[in-house]
Amino acid sequence: MTNNPFPLSRDELLTAYRTMRTIRDFEERLHVEFAKGDIPGFVHLYAGEEACATGIMMHLTDIDRIASTHRGHGHCIAKGVDVHEMMGEIYGKVTGCCRGKGGSMHIADLSKGMMGANGILGAGAPLICGAGLAAKFRGDGGVGLTFFGDGAANQGTVLESMNLAAIWNLPVIFVVENNGYAESTSVEYATAVDSYVDRAAGFGLPGVTVDGTDFFAVYEAAGEIIKRAREGGGPALLECKTVRFFGHFEGDAQTYKAKGENDHNRAHRDCLKLFGARVTAAGVVSEADLALIDREVAALIDDAVETAKGAPLPGARDLTTDVYVAY
Amino acid sequence: MTSSTPPKVGIIANPISARDIRRVVASANSVQVADRANIVLRALAALAACGIEEVVMMPERGGIATHVLRGMERSNAQGEARFPRLTHLAMPVTGTVDDTRRAARMMREAGDIAAIIVLGGDGTHRAVVAECGQVPIAGISTGTNNAFPEHREPTITGLATGLAAMGQVPAALAFAANKLIEVRIDGGPPDIALVDVALVTDRFVGARALWRAETFRELYVAFADPEVIGMAAIAGLIEPVTRREPGGLALTLAPAATAPMVVHAPIAPGLVTPVGVESWRRMPSGTVFSPDIAAGSVALDGERELFFDGHQEVTITLQDAAFRTVDVAAVMAFAAREKLLLRHAAPTTHPAPPRAALLAGA
Ligand SMILES: Cc1ncc(C[n+]2csc(CCOP(=O)(O)OP(=O)(O)O)c2C)c(N)n1
Ligand SMILES: [Mg+2]
Repeated sequence: MTNNPFPLSRDELLTAYRTMRTIRDFEERLHVEFAKGDIPGFVHLYAGEEACATGIMMHLTDIDRIASTHRGHGHCIAKGVDVHEMMGEIYGKVTGCCRGKGGSMHIADLSKGMMGANGILGAGAPLICGAGLAAKFRGDGGVGLTFFGDGAANQGTVLESMNLAAIWNLPVIFVVENNGYAESTSVEYATAVDSYVDRAAGFGLPGVTVDGTDFFAVYEAAGEIIKRAREGGGPALLECKTVRFFGHFEGDAQTYKAKGENDHNRAHRDCLKLFGARVTAAGVVSEADLALIDREVAALIDDAVETAKGAPLPGARDLTTDVYVAY
Repeated sequence: MTSSTPPKVGIIANPISARDIRRVVASANSVQVADRANIVLRALAALAACGIEEVVMMPERGGIATHVLRGMERSNAQGEARFPRLTHLAMPVTGTVDDTRRAARMMREAGDIAAIIVLGGDGTHRAVVAECGQVPIAGISTGTNNAFPEHREPTITGLATGLAAMGQVPAALAFAANKLIEVRIDGGPPDIALVDVALVTDRFVGARALWRAETFRELYVAFADPEVIGMAAIAGLIEPVTRREPGGLALTLAPAATAPMVVHAPIAPGLVTPVGVESWRRMPSGTVFSPDIAAGSVALDGERELFFDGHQEVTITLQDAAFRTVDVAAVMAFAAREKLLLRHAAPTTHPAPPRAALLAGA
């Protein structure tokens, strides 16, 4: 028996940590940079929710598709989208993955199976049913996952898609990232059932709720759900109960949160701290291993920001390119 | 119970349904909040029919209280006074299992609660048992994968609890003693299991439930009914142990491929799995068992709760007569025998008066 108590190898654990750290640093840095006023449009930061994207995406490859949200940076990074291209896109530069025409809420990279962030709540759900149907016809074992928040979960599109996925038995997984708020509205106020799992049950879909700040809980539950979908077992719902460290958007005064809520979450519900403590206590990974990753990621994010800042904006000539697709 | 204070009954209803991985790896389901409230209403009506005047509930914000109060209001508006007075414990609501523990403790300390009806799964029952002392509990299962609470219509559980609480049934018959299993790591405070303790090779808690039989190594059961679902089923199909007899069973498990014996056990709803068994022996009360596996995790009543490493000492001990439950079957049999719920329309034709006039309008 090896000394590793986890369902992942040492290398996989380090990869998980690197992904979560990359998302965290990316978001913390954007928080600082956005305040300087150089970034066009809105950004919605994913800090606090890293274990959800990472625990899920570690089970996927490029043939699997995801449809993301307005809070999509973490999904992109975990799905393998290039951090430099993402940063370029957020700065609206030609080096961005969509040539700077989309910005934060339209980052997409089809080569990675990342079908796009989305400014319309609940819009990813019908899209992923299409991707799921395609995977089913191709028979390539690919699965589709759509992410949505506790607020977007109440959109009709999400419910219609659950129905469609159920009747067509699509390899589609509905992931609710329940961070307790939709903008400033609490989930207790806005959602009539006491769990999204109960709602999925109404469509005959099994659902699972996990602690979204516990990487291992997300990883294990997602693994079973994804395996089941790949094998033809059909759609399911995964609810990750998580926390958002920042405001809804950058500049949000967060008056709707309890006093000290963010500090409490950063102290006790930080998925990176929890993960780091667990893997180092087990002796599989050392503090030094993690510190090295921290340094490498910090350098990567620095470089991505500097490169994006230095890159050119699209010009008038680019106005009509890459906008429409001809079939 | 003094005659001056009429007995009260406590209700602890966990509003959070289990939504763990067993919905995917097996076909488990659980009872949703509106149905939980409906169960409480049925139990309340049964308690009132037995003469219980006041019921004390654990407060929660999951929606049960709202549904229950609405149901009582409707029935009162229609002139059907068929519920006892309902009060809620004065305590903060955290929305976690701490509420259950605190409520059970407060009900024990109150001194006038004759019994507690518990609505939830094995985990909720475990939390109540940890704090309720000698106050008897009556369990109502709210899911398919519970081994401790018996599965039956809550109205009957309510009737039996009401009759027992009112002193209509001799205590020796109404209340049964139950076993539990204590687990300690490095001599720390005990964690308890009401049905089974399983040791598995996973050294992480993860999605909590157990379903990969190849990771099972040791199993300790307080009782093992061949009709039960979950880990205890493994023991129940080998050597049944009743809830009432002293002692339990300790089993050594192994991957099915290498074990000398394989039992096909329903370890979760809809999941009948081959489980390798090496050996088993009786587990007498008070004997300290130390596991053979050096590291892994401890599952209490089927859910991974703790993990331990090679340098930690785990001890597992069964206790007889650790807490009391309402013996619903015994109470209802007594009620039938003694005609506790029988009332004759025309007393002249039947000279013997009923032992208790319990039905509404009596
Ligand atoms: C169809 C639609 N309605 C409203 C909005 C405005 N809006 C953007 S984000 C948001 C809240 C989303 O909350 P939730 O789904 O919980 O996701 P979170 O922001 O918490 O990640 C709203 C109302 C929108 N983008 N699209
Ligand atoms: Mg939200």
